[in-house]
Amino acid sequence: MNLFHHQAINLSRNGLTRRSFLHAVSASAIAAGTLSFRDVISLRADELRKQGMSMILLYMQGGPSQFETFDPKPGLDTGGPTKAITTATPGIEIAEGWSNIAQQMKDVALIRSLNNKEGNHQRALYQMHTGYVPSGSVKHPSLGSAIAKEIGDPAQDLPAVVSVGRTVGAGFLGVDYEPFAVQNPGQIPQNVTPLIESSRFNRRLGVLNELEQDFAERGGETVVANHQRLYEKTRKLVQSPQVKTFDLASEPQALRDRYGDTQFGKGCLLARRLVEAGVTFVEVTLGNWDTHDDNFNRCKTLSEQCDPGFAALVADLKDRGRLDKTLVLWVGEFGRTPRINPRTGRDHYPRVFNAAIAGGGVKGGQVIGASTKDGMAVERDPVSVADLFTTVCKSLQVDPRKENMSPIGRPLKIVDGGQPVEKLFG
Amino acid sequence: MSRISRQFVALIAVALILALGATLNVTGPSAFAEDSVSKSPQVAANSPKPAADHEIAGILPAPLPTRDVSDRIDALIDADLKAGKITPASRTTDEDFLRRVTFDLAGTTPEPNVVSLFGLDPDAAKRSKTIDRLLESADYARNWSQYWREVLYSRATDPRSRISQKQFETWMEQNFAENRGWNKIATDLLTATGDVQETGATALFFAHQGDPEEVASEASRIFLGIQIQCAACHDHPTDKWKREQFHELAAFFPRVALRRDQNAGPLSFRVVSIDAGPGAGRFGEPGAIAREPEKFIKQVDKNNDSKITLDEVRNDQGRRLFTALMERADANKDGALTAAELKAMPIPEQQGRGSLEHYMPNLEDPGDRGKKMDPAFFVSNVKANAGMKDMDRRELAAKLFTSTSNEWFAKAFVNRIWSEMLGEGFFMPIDDLGPERKPNSPEVLNLLSRQFAAHEYDIKWLFRTIANTHAYQRSVRAKLPTETAPTFAAAVPTRLRSDQLYDALTSVLGIGDLGGNRPPQRGAGAGQRVDNSPRGQFNALFGFDPSTPQDEITGTVPQVLFFMNSPLLQSLTRGTGQTRLARILQDFSNDDDALTELYLLVLSRQPSDKELKICHKFLGSAPNRQEGFEDLMWSLLNSSEFLTKR
Repeated sequence: MNLFHHQAINLSRNGLTRRSFLHAVSASAIAAGTLSFRDVISLRADELRKQGMSMILLYMQGGPSQFETFDPKPGLDTGGPTKAITTATPGIEIAEGWSNIAQQMKDVALIRSLNNKEGNHQRALYQMHTGYVPSGSVKHPSLGSAIAKEIGDPAQDLPAVVSVGRTVGAGFLGVDYEPFAVQNPGQIPQNVTPLIESSRFNRRLGVLNELEQDFAERGGETVVANHQRLYEKTRKLVQSPQVKTFDLASEPQALRDRYGDTQFGKGCLLARRLVEAGVTFVEVTLGNWDTHDDNFNRCKTLSEQCDPGFAALVADLKDRGRLDKTLVLWVGEFGRTPRINPRTGRDHYPRVFNAAIAGGGVKGGQVIGASTKDGMAVERDPVSVADLFTTVCKSLQVDPRKENMSPIGRPLKIVDGGQPVEKLFG
Repeated sequence: MSRISRQFVALIAVALILALGATLNVTGPSAFAEDSVSKSPQVAANSPKPAADHEIAGILPAPLPTRDVSDRIDALIDADLKAGKITPASRTTDEDFLRRVTFDLAGTTPEPNVVSLFGLDPDAAKRSKTIDRLLESADYARNWSQYWREVLYSRATDPRSRISQKQFETWMEQNFAENRGWNKIATDLLTATGDVQETGATALFFAHQGDPEEVASEASRIFLGIQIQCAACHDHPTDKWKREQFHELAAFFPRVALRRDQNAGPLSFRVVSIDAGPGAGRFGEPGAIAREPEKFIKQVDKNNDSKITLDEVRNDQGRRLFTALMERADANKDGALTAAELKAMPIPEQQGRGSLEHYMPNLEDPGDRGKKMDPAFFVSNVKANAGMKDMDRRELAAKLFTSTSNEWFAKAFVNRIWSEMLGEGFFMPIDDLGPERKPNSPEVLNLLSRQFAAHEYDIKWLFRTIANTHAYQRSVRAKLPTETAPTFAAAVPTRLRSDQLYDALTSVLGIGDLGGNRPPQRGAGAGQRVDNSPRGQFNALFGFDPSTPQDEITGTVPQVLFFMNSPLLQSLTRGTGQTRLARILQDFSNDDDALTELYLLVLSRQPSDKELKICHKFLGSAPNRQEGFEDLMWSLLNSSEFLTKR
């Protein structure tokens, strides 16, 4: 069974057809002797569909202002000087500075009725990554790690979860789902490239293996076995031809220009390359959204980095036929106050904020929920963090109620509570 | 933000009443004293036999010397092994012992010359003497302060608390250097107040923003090894603890708060008591003023005009707080508050949080504030009354936690240290104990914890006693098929903590710090402070929660990449220049000698004949001596043995 499983995953990743899948598994199916081809297909059909899915989280750290992104209130005190612009979808207007994403609006849905209670950066950031508020007794896995555990490809050379910038880790799910952090998108990550030629690298690994035997025999058996497994996993990454996925040089200059020559733009392009190569979950962080002062100028600068990258990512995924299988979510830990403070800033506001979501079966060109006219509260169709996470699970065909066991034996659902926003899939 | 303001309203009420000199009918109960329960009228021992505490305390054994206790432990373990027909592993070699005990007590690896001299020393008592020497070293205090930093901060629910790590470590280092009793350290941690950057003992409260439930959970887990937080929402699934008992424990901590100091820097916090007086009155809870505004006004209203103004408030503190109350409640901006205005004042969103009392949430009705809980200690069933001052509550909690009649306080610490040193504990995981769990070798645990209590929780005594047992000094070996539970028949290899590994690595490389070559990490954003020192960066990569079971600590790919490919290690392990390898190659032209030196340097032992053979063969096939040795040093640093205490 395990053998089937791995083959099924590999094949789907490589985009083989059902017919070639059948052909490829026939030998092992016969060897197993218990399942007919039809059984294998029906057992694995669901699995197969899931295996192609992936997610890109564009995380706006600091809490982006909804008024200066996708829920502008022009002409109102609370709206400030920010103007609204039209988009490719008639009737949907977003803040100025987002003209690229405006053009992609037919593929992007907006949620304007997100709401939460956490107004503290760290706690809200943790919650927006794990679905749970922090607790001393358990380190919750980030949603990306939980998803990778469900639908990731264990035979993959590249890590299942990659993060451009720091993020919340795999918690109690452990090392296999720990996000692999990339500091400088576009470059091969730190320490991945050996500084010696590969023949010498292999010689070193060879003598290391030989020398480990003595300790293994003296009682370090388990320690040595675990160590060797981890070294083998790392070696596979280091020597994998897929490492070149991290290098953006092979992409056409025109495309790189569309993403933008910024950390965030490069991160978005890297994210597209990684999901194509089989990575399940990629997070790209854009920081500095904590605009307690000079909100309007700072939001303008940030939109200049974010808008091209986000829009190019959606368009590029679509051009390459991967948008249906890739969920893209743009969100931060909370929104900003309707009141503009004396430093022309906006403060933390979890009561109503917004998100943008595209791909992964989401129907674009629509707005879910609304804030009140002055932006003080949710007007209709409130969406909680749990609702948002359940929606993500639905898109990726992951059961949100699946329980993982914490180290002290407490079962924890991937998402506790919440309902998917069905309209998104309409 | 809203939390602060809620607490603020509560504070305003209390302070106003103080400022007005209102007489309140609350007597602070005196602290629970083990030998004088009757002195504290408000603390009723709820157990059917109130004197039980003293009986147990009374039969604490006389303190025995280290040697006697070590011998008794070995006798108990030997009897168990004999009954189970298990032959214990042989006594460990001098080399392995020295490396093990140096890591355990001093947190680093012994220098090669120390290893050689130790082996040559004919003194039969050299192991005991080494234990004593290491316990007196500065490294001992540093090592264990680093350990406790990781225990406490790994589970912090407020990441900002990382800014106080250094202060906590310094404070713990003093405790260990002075060998203060574990009960005294625990008491300080439970009763601390003050500036978090000045008072290391505030760490527990800072790490959890003073949240009563988180503090109760962590205090129970760390000091008693009992995971009572499982009973926060329902009775404990596998133990006898009831939901009420968890919330009664949390009721010791509702009046501790974390306050931002507005006048100082952006990350200046203080841990404070929010009652600051003989007791909190009926208006000491958020929402209480709005519920009974007339009564509140009556208390303050000097001139009987049914309005209260700033002039009617007595002192500075009261005036400051009154001003804040005005901002929230004075709707018509006339500088006076009426009952109607107070009634209309925005009510705190989340009832219970920031309250002066702890409420057990009503699971049926989230809108309900829940049931007000009286503090009570689930282990000894001692109850106190709500209404007590913060410091009285916390001092009482500290007494109850650290009482010699509370077996779990000693057991949790003994279990943790034993497990850290031998690789396996009596209870596993090390912070999951309880009366309904079956420990391994219970007699050993009982003996050791009762003696630990009898020695007034003398931490060095405990280390010395464990390190002197034969059980601690056995060699590692593969598990026998019959050993399904820990038997302590052999040492179990464990992974070095990040600080230990850092010290071992810098010591092997002969450098003070792993400087340069690595780009500083970008901060995680608002409020989060990243320790960018070389050790801080190393800990960010290699750190783990020391309460994690050993088999879950498996290392990560970026850790391997660091040892495998980092330019920093590459340059520090070159066979040329000023590196330690270059010196070995210069000083020892004979390969056997050079290999022995290299093994002593990296692994604190001589190579076996088999290893020498492998190395010679490898050197023979290498392009030149220097490159061959570089590759061998790489292999030793990348070996599992280097990362492991064996």
